Amino acid sequence: MKRSAGLRICAAILALGVGSATAQDYPYRDITTAVVWGAGGGTDTINRMIMAEMEKELPVSINVINQTGGVAGSNGMVYVMNQPDDGYTLVGLSESNVTAAVQGGWDKKFDYWYPFIVGGSPDLISVPKDSPYNTIDDLVAAAKDAPGTIPAAASGAGSIHHLNLLALEKGADVTFKFVPYKGSAPGQEAAMAGEVALVVTSLAEQAPLIAGGELKPLATLTPDAAAVGDIAIPSAFDSIGGLDQYLPLKQAIGFAVHASASDDVKAKLGAAFEKAMAGDTVAEWAKTNYYDIGGQYGDEATELFRKLESNFAWTLFDLGATEVDPSTLGIEKP
Amino acid sequence: MDYFLTQVAGFWFELVSLASDPITYVYLVCSVFLGIVFGALPGLTATLAVTILTGFFGNKFPLEQSLIALIGAYVGAIYGGSYPSILLNIPGTAASAATAMDGNPLAKQGRGGEALGMTTTASFIGTLIGTGFLLVFVWLLLMISKNIASPEKALLALFGILLSGTLMSKDLVLKGWISGLIGLAMAMVGLDPILSETRYTFGWSYLMSGFQVVPVLMGAFAVPQIMDGMRADGSIGQKVDVGRIVPRIGTVMRRFPTIARSGVIGTGIGALPGVGEDVAGWVSYGVGRTVCKDGDKFGTGSVNGLLSAEAANNAAIGGALIPLLVLGIPGSPPAAALLGALKINNVIPGPTIDPQLILHVVAILVMASFTMAIMGLLTARVFIMVLRIPQTIFLPVVMVLTTIGSFSVGGGINDLYLMLAVGFVAFAMNAMHYPIAPLVIGVILGPLFDETFRRSLLISDGDLSTFWTRPGAAILLALNVALVVSQLPIVKRLFTGRKRSPI
Repeated sequence: MKRSAGLRICAAILALGVGSATAQDYPYRDITTAVVWGAGGGTDTINRMIMAEMEKELPVSINVINQTGGVAGSNGMVYVMNQPDDGYTLVGLSESNVTAAVQGGWDKKFDYWYPFIVGGSPDLISVPKDSPYNTIDDLVAAAKDAPGTIPAAASGAGSIHHLNLLALEKGADVTFKFVPYKGSAPGQEAAMAGEVALVVTSLAEQAPLIAGGELKPLATLTPDAAAVGDIAIPSAFDSIGGLDQYLPLKQAIGFAVHASASDDVKAKLGAAFEKAMAGDTVAEWAKTNYYDIGGQYGDEATELFRKLESNFAWTLFDLGATEVDPSTLGIEKP
Repeated sequence: MDYFLTQVAGFWFELVSLASDPITYVYLVCSVFLGIVFGALPGLTATLAVTILTGFFGNKFPLEQSLIALIGAYVGAIYGGSYPSILLNIPGTAASAATAMDGNPLAKQGRGGEALGMTTTASFIGTLIGTGFLLVFVWLLLMISKNIASPEKALLALFGILLSGTLMSKDLVLKGWISGLIGLAMAMVGLDPILSETRYTFGWSYLMSGFQVVPVLMGAFAVPQIMDGMRADGSIGQKVDVGRIVPRIGTVMRRFPTIARSGVIGTGIGALPGVGEDVAGWVSYGVGRTVCKDGDKFGTGSVNGLLSAEAANNAAIGGALIPLLVLGIPGSPPAAALLGALKINNVIPGPTIDPQLILHVVAILVMASFTMAIMGLLTARVFIMVLRIPQTIFLPVVMVLTTIGSFSVGGGINDLYLMLAVGFVAFAMNAMHYPIAPLVIGVILGPLFDETFRRSLLISDGDLSTFWTRPGAAILLALNVALVVSQLPIVKRLFTGRKRSPI
């Protein structure tokens, strides 16, 4: 008798728990965001910042964790994929993750996600402080004289910075000697040590080194010029004619929820995201860190990522650096 | 000289303002304790401790306060790794693997209390040395770390692997090198760092990210140790003579040259971007073995050996913060987590950093090392009691903690299989007197060697002369060659004056 009473109480508690769960609106418990890149990087920092802001718009807390490793961040994406699509597990990601499928990390197209884009920083081309090149024209002329010999640093094959370098080569009709690095910081470090003649990374990553006089910026790889303090950086589009065919190719950093999540979840997240993006904290953060604010989500962001995916996947395929043929995944040619 | 005076004056100002704020002590005590616990639990690393705290603090607290917590945890965790190294012969973190070499023999001789006390003192002084360099010689060290390019890094990584192979072999040096080369081969698995091509993955996506260090470390050290412990008659705990823990001033003074030398080496290694505490301990241990008078007793319970490793890994903290603060390039994995914490708070480290922030960090480091020393000396008496617990009860608990540690790196169940596989291999290697430490160093340094060696050749168009035409590279190459040549029987015979048992 005693036992059955205990069971009944258990059942009642269980029923109460389940009942209240279905009755409560999303979100009623804490959300976890798994960032697929390591601590200290751009994606990690942006996610920690935006999640702290979105938390203020939601009745729950958001915990940010890192799930790194795999191919192009596939470990983290697979981890989140295996969680229920109830909006309680988000994935923090960036444009570089679109190559995970063609590189064999997982077997999903990027439209598996419903993305939110916080922003990105424009890419620029810089040289060591004591470099003989003072303008982008100097550099292009030197590269034309000695094709394929000037060592150029960018993060690994298929990264956004590598694709920017490739686009610059096509647009200016030159070739450099591409030297890959694991991430932007080591590439910039190599440029300072004089190991390479130029480096392509984002403005956000280079800004402190440019301001400190360690690197000399030649040009941005976007139509807009930029400035770090008093140092003006012209756009490469002004001096190199054919560049607009291949560029700009910009970072898109943010987070995503399963595309299969309910409309209610997407709407709630979207509302919190919009409010957070409109706040002063994000604006100030973006300004100090040299980021351009995005703010796209839903269809607009999906379309943006579709273009990036197609561009990245087919560029890598042409370089022979893919494990999987993009056409078998249904990725269209750009 | 003026620069020196203003730095020191600024430091005292920061220190006083930090020390006069009561909240500082709350942060310090909690974070250093948390760090020690993370360091002491096998498999949980300093990086994890700092990352978790970065997530917890985010931009919700003032940066001045969150920095106290983050740096406190960093210092605590690097120190805390020495506890299981000494007491169990299982390094708590990769940084304290060299500490186990002499720490555990000391504990077995019943000198565990003395070992813990000396370790605490060495960690304390080591941290202060690294901090001193951060305060005074920051620009000098920056010049060195800025001029280290791929060829130097490749040769340094190779030196680390060869050195640990040479040091750890009990009978034939060749066995140590074989072990190191196995580790190097294991490091080749995964996506290659230059072309992103897959190597030795057999189409299995788990292998594409390569072997993670933590499961390999746990498999190599913890699993065989636990198997040995369970095989031995472990019905009663070891006899423990706690003895005096706080070392005598005289003893510390006598050991000071070792500690100071190790501190300087540790700071230098820490200042190199991408090379951190893990390597600092080994290099300093190797140098100690060559320089110290009792070098031939290293590995059998030499206090100098213990101090060489432990002072260096803590000094590496100050070193690792130098490129982080003034170049924005982290010198070690925990420093990378710190970089994230700074950026969330709109502080962009680099040449334009506010010099006041460096002084603030220095003041925190000093406070944290005092906290660590006091807590360490007070709690050593408690920690040493674990040796009294019967091994049959204690080791299964360690196995569970080890498993959790290996799982924490995020590779899923496969990381646990990896741990067990490495564990069985390590057990067999131990039985045949192949040292296992070089294998682990190979896995840690292999990717660095692979990447930098191939990149050097890529830049020089395959011209090997790049390894001796640069002055730094030439010195390192000479060291590598000397290390190998010194082991040839014919050369060894020439050094009859300093006869040593084969290392």
